[in-house]
Amino acid sequence: MLRKLIKHEFHATGRTMLPLYLILLLTAAGSNIAGRWMLDSQIFAVSLLGGLIIFAFIIAIFAVFVEAFWLMIQRFYKNLLQDEGYLMMTLPVSVHQHVWAKLTVSAVWFLATISAVILASMIVAYDVHIFQEFFHLIGDIFRVLQKLKISEAFNGTVIIIEGLALIFLALAAFSLQFYAALAMGHSMANHKMVWSVGCFFGFQFAVQFVGSLLLVSLSKMRLFRFLNNWDPEPIVAVHVGLLMAIGLVVIYGTIFYIVTIFFLKKRLNLE
Amino acid sequence: MPVLECKELCKSYGRTPALDRLTVSIEPGRIVGLLGPNGSGKTTLIKLASGLLTPDAGYISVCGLPPGPESRKNISFLPERTAIPTWMSAKQLLDFYGDFYADFRRDAAEEMLAHLNIFPHQRIKQMSKGTREKVQLILVMSRAAKLYLLDEPIGGVDPATRDYILSTIIGNYNPEAAVVISTHLIADVEKVLDEVIFIHQGRLALQSGVDEIREEKGMSVDALFREVFKC
Repeated sequence: MLRKLIKHEFHATGRTMLPLYLILLLTAAGSNIAGRWMLDSQIFAVSLLGGLIIFAFIIAIFAVFVEAFWLMIQRFYKNLLQDEGYLMMTLPVSVHQHVWAKLTVSAVWFLATISAVILASMIVAYDVHIFQEFFHLIGDIFRVLQKLKISEAFNGTVIIIEGLALIFLALAAFSLQFYAALAMGHSMANHKMVWSVGCFFGFQFAVQFVGSLLLVSLSKMRLFRFLNNWDPEPIVAVHVGLLMAIGLVVIYGTIFYIVTIFFLKKRLNLE
Repeated sequence: MPVLECKELCKSYGRTPALDRLTVSIEPGRIVGLLGPNGSGKTTLIKLASGLLTPDAGYISVCGLPPGPESRKNISFLPERTAIPTWMSAKQLLDFYGDFYADFRRDAAEEMLAHLNIFPHQRIKQMSKGTREKVQLILVMSRAAKLYLLDEPIGGVDPATRDYILSTIIGNYNPEAAVVISTHLIADVEKVLDEVIFIHQGRLALQSGVDEIREEKGMSVDALFREVFKC
């Protein structure tokens, strides 16, 4: 059932995100042409058009990020807490599956947006000369990698995986903070959205407060003294730092996941 | 085994009680009118049965199962408002129902859509309010469920559409299932009901067969309702 929910969620969101990516890539191609031939034109109208195309590209970058962020909130709110909730929340699926479907699709769109913006930037910078240099650089990287020891190559791969996992989990945890605020706010009888905004800022305050308390109390703990006196190799320190960050993000996300599930399961109050 | 059973069921919104120790049981093969004035607790009972609300106290089960993903496989629920996503087309909604409900009869749904001249590729947002409600009803009645929960299915539509909705319910429900119709438009639904449940201020006021009411009290359900709930 989770697979089916994810399929329908992609269907519902893809109809907005995919055309936006297309616009982003088209304006990127336009910006490339504008940068090479139009901006320096002696004809004012041509250089003005070039400037407008580059401006459209900047707006498109802004739009894809805003839309990915807005869809993350809007799909949860509209699909589960508004009228559509009467259809969705009576499907033979669990609340956990609903939340995982929304979470997975949101995180995928965030990553796809970052990838699309990187691709668009490459299109803007596209030049035969630049690409020749780029492929030379790739070749150099491979030559360096071939000279690496197995342990160094392994460490590098693991660090990339840890970094990607951290980004994915951080995006999911950030989404869960919004979901928890919406689920809690919409359990109220009236002014549901106002309560949701209040809950979000309440959570934000609580996270900062608990974070500060943890930092202060950690400094008095043995673990901190151990870490302070510990002198590991740089590569080990990077692993430990990334794993600690992943652990903290998982705790932060789990708390909001539990809050979201509780309010959707026990305190759902559709209008 | 009752299709829907509740014992001493309680639900409050803040300090306002919506259901107060309600005990009812609905057997399969019956079309039941869930009747009561506005705010009597009809919608709350339907929401509790479909798992949209959690009871404060008491017990509720559908086909012997507590409300949850498993019990929802047996329930076909028609909400009071239009809940189908308006960006979807009728065909996409059939795909959606077919994906999630094993008992969805796609051929029956397509036949009903064709009968109403609803173009499968037309988006819901392009349809009138009445047509949207008909599409939603077609989806709900195209399931071979064990319990149909219909919340105000004829509220807010013209008399011709009311007749269409009632004939669709009668012509398409699974005969081994129970159909619960919540409404206060009693005169319109009376002709299709086997049984009625009167709810007043969250409590059971009456549960009786329609024929018994006519024979024993010598009045229609509509007349009895007016007498019981006289202001």
